[in-house]
Amino acid sequence: MDLDAVIRECLEGSQSAWETLVSTFAKRIFNMAYQFSGSRQEAEDKTQEVFLKLHGALPRYDSGKNFTAWLLTLTKNHLIDEYRRTKWEKTQRDDFDERVLAQTAHDGPEQSLVEKETKALVWEGLNRLSADMRMVIILRDLQGKSYEEVAEIFDLPLGTVKSRVNRARIQLAQVLKEYRGGTL
Amino acid sequence: MTCERIEELLSAYLEGELADAEKAEVAAHLAACPECAGLVELMKETSGAIVGFPEVEPSPDLMAGLYAIPAVRRERRRWFQPVFDYLTRPALQPVYAAFTVLFIALSFVFFHPEGRGIRKQIDVRLHRGIGTVEKLYAGAGTLKGEIGSLTTTVVKSFNNLDLLKSGEGKQ
Repeated sequence: MDLDAVIRECLEGSQSAWETLVSTFAKRIFNMAYQFSGSRQEAEDKTQEVFLKLHGALPRYDSGKNFTAWLLTLTKNHLIDEYRRTKWEKTQRDDFDERVLAQTAHDGPEQSLVEKETKALVWEGLNRLSADMRMVIILRDLQGKSYEEVAEIFDLPLGTVKSRVNRARIQLAQVLKEYRGGTL
Repeated sequence: MTCERIEELLSAYLEGELADAEKAEVAAHLAACPECAGLVELMKETSGAIVGFPEVEPSPDLMAGLYAIPAVRRERRRWFQPVFDYLTRPALQPVYAAFTVLFIALSFVFFHPEGRGIRKQIDVRLHRGIGTVEKLYAGAGTLKGEIGSLTTTVVKSFNNLDLLKSGEGKQ
Protein backbone atom coordinates (compact mmCIF):
# COMPACT_ATOMS: atom_id res chain seq x y z
CA MET A 1 0.00 0.00 0.00
CA ASP A 2 1.32 3.43 -0.95
CA LEU A 3 0.70 5.36 2.24
CA ASP A 4 1.56 8.73 0.68
CA ALA A 5 -1.04 8.18 -2.04
CA VAL A 6 -3.64 7.20 0.57
CA ILE A 7 -2.90 10.36 2.56
CA ARG A 8 -3.11 12.50 -0.59
CA GLU A 9 -6.50 10.99 -1.38
CA CYS A 10 -7.62 11.58 2.21
CA LEU A 11 -6.73 15.23 1.83
CA GLU A 12 -8.81 15.35 -1.34
CA GLY A 13 -11.76 14.09 0.71
CA SER A 14 -11.84 10.44 -0.33
CA GLN A 15 -13.87 8.38 2.16
CA SER A 16 -12.41 5.07 0.99
CA ALA A 17 -8.85 6.38 1.50
CA TRP A 18 -9.77 7.47 5.03
CA GLU A 19 -11.20 4.01 5.73
CA THR A 20 -7.98 2.44 4.47
CA LEU A 21 -5.98 4.65 6.80
CA VAL A 22 -8.26 3.81 9.74
CA SER A 23 -8.14 0.07 8.99
CA THR A 24 -4.35 0.18 8.85
CA PHE A 25 -3.75 1.99 12.13
CA ALA A 26 -6.88 1.62 14.32
CA LYS A 27 -5.82 -1.64 15.98
CA ARG A 28 -2.35 -0.32 16.79
CA ILE A 29 -3.64 2.95 18.23
CA PHE A 30 -6.44 1.23 20.14
CA ASN A 31 -4.00 -1.24 21.71
CA MET A 32 -1.59 1.52 22.60
CA ALA A 33 -4.41 3.45 24.31
CA TYR A 34 -5.66 0.28 26.02
CA GLN A 35 -2.24 -0.68 27.33
CA PHE A 36 -1.64 2.87 28.50
CA SER A 37 -4.98 3.53 30.17
CA GLY A 38 -5.85 0.00 31.22
CA SER A 39 -9.50 0.56 30.39
CA ARG A 40 -11.36 -0.56 27.29
CA GLN A 41 -13.87 2.30 27.47
CA GLU A 42 -11.14 4.85 27.97
CA ALA A 43 -9.14 3.34 25.10
CA GLU A 44 -12.14 3.61 22.77
CA ASP A 45 -12.64 7.27 23.69
CA LYS A 46 -8.96 8.07 23.29
CA THR A 47 -8.75 6.25 19.94
CA GLN A 48 -11.69 8.27 18.68
CA GLU A 49 -10.03 11.50 19.86
CA VAL A 50 -6.69 10.57 18.29
CA PHE A 51 -8.28 9.90 14.90
CA LEU A 52 -10.27 13.13 15.14
CA LYS A 53 -7.00 14.93 15.78
CA LEU A 54 -5.35 13.04 12.95
CA HIS A 55 -8.08 14.08 10.53
CA GLY A 56 -7.60 17.72 11.54
CA ALA A 57 -3.80 17.52 11.48
CA LEU A 58 -3.43 15.61 8.22
CA PRO A 59 -3.03 18.78 6.09
CA ARG A 60 -0.02 19.69 8.25
CA TYR A 61 1.69 16.31 7.75
CA ASP A 62 5.03 16.68 5.98
CA SER A 63 5.05 13.89 3.38
CA GLY A 64 8.83 13.56 3.66
CA LYS A 65 8.53 12.25 7.21
CA ASN A 66 7.76 8.78 8.54
CA PHE A 67 3.95 8.74 8.83
CA THR A 68 3.79 5.93 11.41
CA ALA A 69 6.25 7.71 13.72
CA TRP A 70 4.33 10.98 13.22
CA LEU A 71 1.01 9.31 14.10
CA LEU A 72 2.49 7.52 17.12
CA THR A 73 3.97 10.81 18.34
CA LEU A 74 0.55 12.43 18.02
CA THR A 75 -1.00 9.48 19.91
CA LYS A 76 1.68 9.50 22.60
CA ASN A 77 1.28 13.25 23.17
CA HIS A 78 -2.49 13.00 23.34
CA LEU A 79 -2.48 10.05 25.75
CA ILE A 80 0.10 11.58 28.09
CA ASP A 81 -1.51 15.04 28.04
CA GLU A 82 -4.96 13.63 28.74
CA TYR A 83 -3.59 11.39 31.47
CA ARG A 84 -1.87 14.32 33.19
CA ARG A 85 -5.01 16.42 32.89
CA THR A 86 -7.29 13.82 34.48
CA LYS A 87 -4.98 11.45 36.35
CA TRP A 88 -6.85 11.85 39.61
CA GLU A 89 -9.65 9.85 37.99
CA LYS A 90 -7.39 7.04 36.84
CA THR A 91 -6.16 5.23 39.90
CA GLN A 92 -7.52 1.86 38.83
CA ARG A 93 -7.04 -0.22 35.71
CA ASP A 94 -9.65 -2.68 34.44
CA ASP A 95 -9.14 -6.20 35.70
CA PHE A 96 -6.73 -8.04 33.47
CA ASP A 97 -8.94 -8.83 30.52
CA GLU A 98 -10.58 -12.24 30.73
CA ARG A 99 -10.52 -12.53 26.96
CA VAL A 100 -6.78 -11.88 27.01
CA LEU A 101 -6.33 -14.56 29.66
CA ALA A 102 -8.42 -16.93 27.59
CA GLN A 103 -6.29 -16.21 24.53
CA THR A 104 -3.06 -16.81 26.42
CA ALA A 105 -4.42 -20.10 27.75
CA HIS A 106 -4.26 -21.39 24.19
CA ASP A 107 -0.51 -20.96 24.29
CA GLY A 108 -0.30 -24.38 25.87
CA PRO A 109 -1.28 -26.30 28.96
CA GLU A 110 2.19 -25.85 30.39
CA GLN A 111 1.50 -22.21 31.10
CA SER A 112 1.27 -22.17 34.83
CA LEU A 113 -1.05 -20.26 37.07
CA VAL A 114 1.98 -18.33 38.32
CA GLU A 115 2.66 -17.02 34.82
CA LYS A 116 -0.94 -15.92 34.49
CA GLU A 117 -0.76 -14.27 37.86
CA THR A 118 2.47 -12.54 36.86
CA LYS A 119 0.78 -11.20 33.72
CA ALA A 120 -2.09 -9.83 35.81
CA LEU A 121 0.31 -8.22 38.30
CA VAL A 122 2.43 -6.66 35.56
CA TRP A 123 -0.72 -5.38 33.88
CA GLU A 124 -1.81 -3.81 37.16
CA GLY A 125 1.73 -2.60 37.87
CA LEU A 126 1.88 -0.55 34.66
CA ASN A 127 -0.35 1.97 36.42
CA ARG A 128 2.31 2.53 39.06
CA LEU A 129 4.74 3.91 36.48
CA SER A 130 4.80 7.56 35.50
CA ALA A 131 3.17 8.42 32.17
CA ASP A 132 6.52 8.73 30.36
CA MET A 133 7.91 5.51 31.80
CA ARG A 134 4.74 3.60 30.99
CA MET A 135 4.77 4.91 27.44
CA VAL A 136 8.37 3.88 26.72
CA ILE A 137 7.65 0.37 28.03
CA ILE A 138 4.52 0.16 25.88
CA LEU A 139 6.31 1.33 22.75
CA ARG A 140 9.43 -0.75 23.23
CA ASP A 141 8.14 -3.98 24.84
CA LEU A 142 4.47 -4.17 23.90
CA GLN A 143 4.44 -2.49 20.50
CA GLY A 144 7.88 -3.89 19.68
CA LYS A 145 9.37 -0.63 18.43
CA SER A 146 13.14 -0.31 18.08
CA TYR A 147 15.02 2.09 20.33
CA GLU A 148 15.54 4.33 17.28
CA GLU A 149 11.81 4.48 16.60
CA VAL A 150 11.04 5.23 20.26
CA ALA A 151 13.68 7.98 20.18
CA GLU A 152 12.01 9.46 17.09
CA ILE A 153 8.55 9.32 18.67
CA PHE A 154 9.78 10.96 21.88
CA ASP A 155 12.13 13.29 20.02
CA LEU A 156 14.91 12.35 22.43
CA PRO A 157 18.51 11.19 21.97
CA LEU A 158 18.96 7.42 21.62
CA GLY A 159 21.01 7.15 24.82
CA THR A 160 18.31 8.91 26.84
CA VAL A 161 15.66 6.55 25.51
CA LYS A 162 17.73 3.45 26.26
CA SER A 163 18.32 4.68 29.79
CA ARG A 164 14.62 5.49 30.23
CA VAL A 165 13.54 2.05 29.01
CA ASN A 166 16.00 0.43 31.41
CA ARG A 167 14.72 2.48 34.35
CA ALA A 168 11.11 1.72 33.43
CA ARG A 169 11.84 -2.03 33.34
CA ILE A 170 13.58 -1.85 36.71
CA GLN A 171 10.67 0.08 38.20
CA LEU A 172 8.19 -2.45 36.86
CA ALA A 173 10.26 -5.31 38.28
CA GLN A 174 10.30 -3.55 41.65
CA VAL A 175 6.52 -3.11 41.52
CA LEU A 176 6.17 -6.85 40.87
CA LYS A 177 8.45 -7.55 43.81
CA GLU A 178 6.34 -5.26 45.98
CA TYR A 179 3.09 -6.97 44.91
CA ARG A 180 4.59 -10.30 45.91
CA GLY A 181 5.42 -8.96 49.34
CA GLY A 182 9.07 -8.30 48.74
CA THR A 183 10.06 -11.89 48.02
CA LEU A 184 12.23 -12.56 44.99
CA MET B 1 31.32 -2.29 39.45
CA THR B 2 28.73 -0.96 41.91
CA CYS B 3 25.11 -2.14 41.99
CA GLU B 4 24.00 1.26 40.61
CA ARG B 5 26.31 0.89 37.62
CA ILE B 6 25.13 -2.68 37.06
CA GLU B 7 21.48 -1.51 37.12
CA GLU B 8 22.23 0.92 34.31
CA LEU B 9 23.49 -1.94 32.16
CA LEU B 10 20.82 -4.55 32.88
CA SER B 11 18.61 -4.01 29.81
CA ALA B 12 21.62 -3.98 27.51
CA TYR B 13 22.88 -7.14 29.26
CA LEU B 14 19.53 -8.92 28.85
CA GLU B 15 19.30 -7.84 25.19
CA GLY B 16 22.84 -9.02 24.50
CA GLU B 17 24.05 -5.57 23.50
CA LEU B 18 27.06 -5.36 25.80
CA ALA B 19 30.63 -5.80 24.67
CA ASP B 20 32.26 -9.03 25.89
CA ALA B 21 34.30 -7.36 28.63
CA GLU B 22 31.29 -5.52 30.10
CA LYS B 23 29.14 -8.60 29.77
CA ALA B 24 31.68 -10.63 31.77
CA GLU B 25 31.82 -7.92 34.43
CA VAL B 26 28.05 -7.86 34.80
CA ALA B 27 27.90 -11.67 34.93
CA ALA B 28 30.56 -11.73 37.64
CA HIS B 29 28.68 -9.11 39.65
CA LEU B 30 25.40 -11.03 39.32
CA ALA B 31 27.06 -14.22 40.50
CA ALA B 32 28.25 -12.43 43.63
CA CYS B 33 25.25 -10.13 44.35
CA PRO B 34 21.92 -11.86 45.12
CA GLU B 35 20.09 -8.51 45.15
CA CYS B 36 21.05 -7.67 41.55
CA ALA B 37 20.58 -11.29 40.46
CA GLY B 38 17.04 -11.21 41.89
CA LEU B 39 16.33 -7.98 40.06
CA VAL B 40 17.46 -9.53 36.77
CA GLU B 41 15.15 -12.50 37.32
CA LEU B 42 12.23 -10.14 37.97
CA MET B 43 13.06 -8.13 34.85
CA LYS B 44 13.06 -11.32 32.80
CA GLU B 45 9.68 -12.24 34.30
CA THR B 46 8.10 -8.85 33.63
CA SER B 47 9.48 -8.74 30.09
CA GLY B 48 8.14 -12.24 29.45
CA ALA B 49 4.74 -11.27 30.85
CA ILE B 50 4.56 -8.08 28.78
CA VAL B 51 5.53 -9.77 25.56
CA GLY B 52 2.75 -12.26 26.25
CA PHE B 53 0.04 -9.58 26.21
CA PRO B 54 -1.81 -10.24 22.97
CA GLU B 55 -3.33 -7.45 20.91
CA VAL B 56 -7.01 -6.68 21.40
CA GLU B 57 -9.38 -6.09 18.49
CA PRO B 58 -11.22 -2.75 18.41
CA SER B 59 -15.00 -3.17 18.50
CA PRO B 60 -17.11 -2.80 15.31
CA ASP B 61 -18.82 0.22 16.91
CA LEU B 62 -15.48 1.94 17.39
CA MET B 63 -14.47 1.19 13.80
CA ALA B 64 -17.78 2.58 12.53
CA GLY B 65 -17.20 5.74 14.62
CA LEU B 66 -13.70 6.14 13.20
CA TYR B 67 -14.88 5.70 9.61
CA ALA B 68 -17.54 8.36 10.20
CA ILE B 69 -15.07 11.03 11.38
CA PRO B 70 -14.89 12.95 8.04
CA ALA B 71 -18.70 13.15 7.91
CA VAL B 72 -18.87 14.27 11.56
CA ARG B 73 -16.31 17.00 10.94
CA ARG B 74 -18.07 18.12 7.77
CA GLU B 75 -21.32 18.39 9.71
CA ARG B 76 -19.61 20.35 12.48
CA ARG B 77 -18.06 22.70 9.92
CA ARG B 78 -21.51 23.21 8.36
CA TRP B 79 -22.66 24.81 11.64
CA PHE B 80 -19.54 26.71 12.57
CA GLN B 81 -18.51 27.92 9.13
CA PRO B 82 -21.26 30.61 8.78
CA VAL B 83 -20.39 32.07 12.21
CA PHE B 84 -16.70 32.01 11.35
CA ASP B 85 -17.36 33.63 7.95
CA TYR B 86 -19.52 36.31 9.57
CA LEU B 87 -16.89 37.18 12.16
CA THR B 88 -14.05 37.26 9.65
CA ARG B 89 -15.76 39.37 6.94
CA PRO B 90 -13.78 42.47 5.90
CA ALA B 91 -16.58 44.87 6.92
CA LEU B 92 -15.83 44.09 10.58
CA GLN B 93 -12.16 44.99 10.31
CA PRO B 94 -12.62 48.67 11.38
CA VAL B 95 -14.60 47.45 14.40
CA TYR B 96 -11.79 45.10 15.43
CA ALA B 97 -9.28 47.93 14.82
CA ALA B 98 -11.32 50.28 17.03
CA PHE B 99 -11.50 47.65 19.77
CA THR B 100 -7.76 47.10 19.50
CA VAL B 101 -7.09 50.82 19.97
CA LEU B 102 -9.55 50.90 22.86
CA PHE B 103 -7.84 47.94 24.53
CA ILE B 104 -4.42 49.53 24.08
CA ALA B 105 -5.70 52.77 25.64
CA LEU B 106 -7.29 50.85 28.51
CA SER B 107 -4.12 48.83 29.04
CA PHE B 108 -2.22 52.12 29.40
CA VAL B 109 -4.74 53.32 31.94
CA PHE B 110 -4.70 50.13 33.97
CA PHE B 111 -1.17 48.82 33.59
CA HIS B 112 1.06 51.83 32.87
CA PRO B 113 3.40 52.74 35.79
CA GLU B 114 1.80 56.17 35.82
CA GLY B 115 -1.66 54.73 35.34
CA ARG B 116 -2.61 55.81 38.87
CA GLY B 117 -2.04 59.46 37.93
CA ILE B 118 -4.03 59.00 34.73
CA ARG B 119 -6.92 57.44 36.64
CA LYS B 120 -6.78 60.30 39.19
CA GLN B 121 -6.94 62.85 36.38
CA ILE B 122 -9.93 61.04 34.91
CA ASP B 123 -11.59 61.03 38.35
CA VAL B 124 -10.95 64.74 38.86
CA ARG B 125 -12.29 65.66 35.43
CA LEU B 126 -15.28 63.41 35.83
CA HIS B 127 -16.14 64.93 39.19
CA ARG B 128 -15.57 68.40 37.84
CA GLY B 129 -17.92 67.62 34.97
CA ILE B 130 -20.53 66.25 37.32
CA GLY B 131 -20.16 69.36 39.52
CA THR B 132 -20.69 71.62 36.52
CA VAL B 133 -23.79 69.71 35.46
CA GLU B 134 -25.15 69.90 39.02
CA LYS B 135 -24.56 73.66 39.09
CA LEU B 136 -26.35 74.03 35.77
CA TYR B 137 -29.28 72.06 37.11
CA ALA B 138 -29.34 74.15 40.26
CA GLY B 139 -29.20 77.33 38.18
CA ALA B 140 -31.98 76.04 35.99
CA GLY B 141 -34.06 75.32 39.12
CA THR B 142 -33.63 78.86 40.42
CA LEU B 143 -34.50 80.30 37.02
CA LYS B 144 -37.62 78.15 36.90
CA GLY B 145 -38.64 79.46 40.33
CA GLU B 146 -38.07 83.03 39.26
CA ILE B 147 -40.07 82.55 36.07
CA GLY B 148 -42.85 80.97 38.14
CA SER B 149 -43.02 83.87 40.59
CA LEU B 150 -42.83 86.38 37.74
CA THR B 151 -45.72 84.62 35.97
CA THR B 152 -47.79 84.73 39.18
CA THR B 153 -47.07 88.43 39.59
CA VAL B 154 -48.04 89.16 35.98
CA VAL B 155 -51.30 87.21 36.29
CA LYS B 156 -52.14 88.99 39.54
CA SER B 157 -51.38 92.35 37.97
CA PHE B 158 -53.69 91.56 35.03
CA ASN B 159 -56.45 90.51 37.41
CA ASN B 160 -56.12 93.73 39.36
CA LEU B 161 -56.21 95.95 36.30
CA ASP B 162 -59.06 98.50 36.65
CA LEU B 163 -59.40 98.66 32.87
CA LEU B 164 -60.73 95.07 32.69
CA LYS B 165 -63.00 95.51 35.73
CA SER B 166 -64.59 98.62 34.27
CA GLY B 167 -65.14 96.86 30.94
CA GLU B 168 -67.01 94.12 32.72
CA GLY B 169 -69.16 96.70 34.54
CA LYS B 170 -70.23 98.31 31.29
CA GLN B 171 -71.58 95.11 29.87
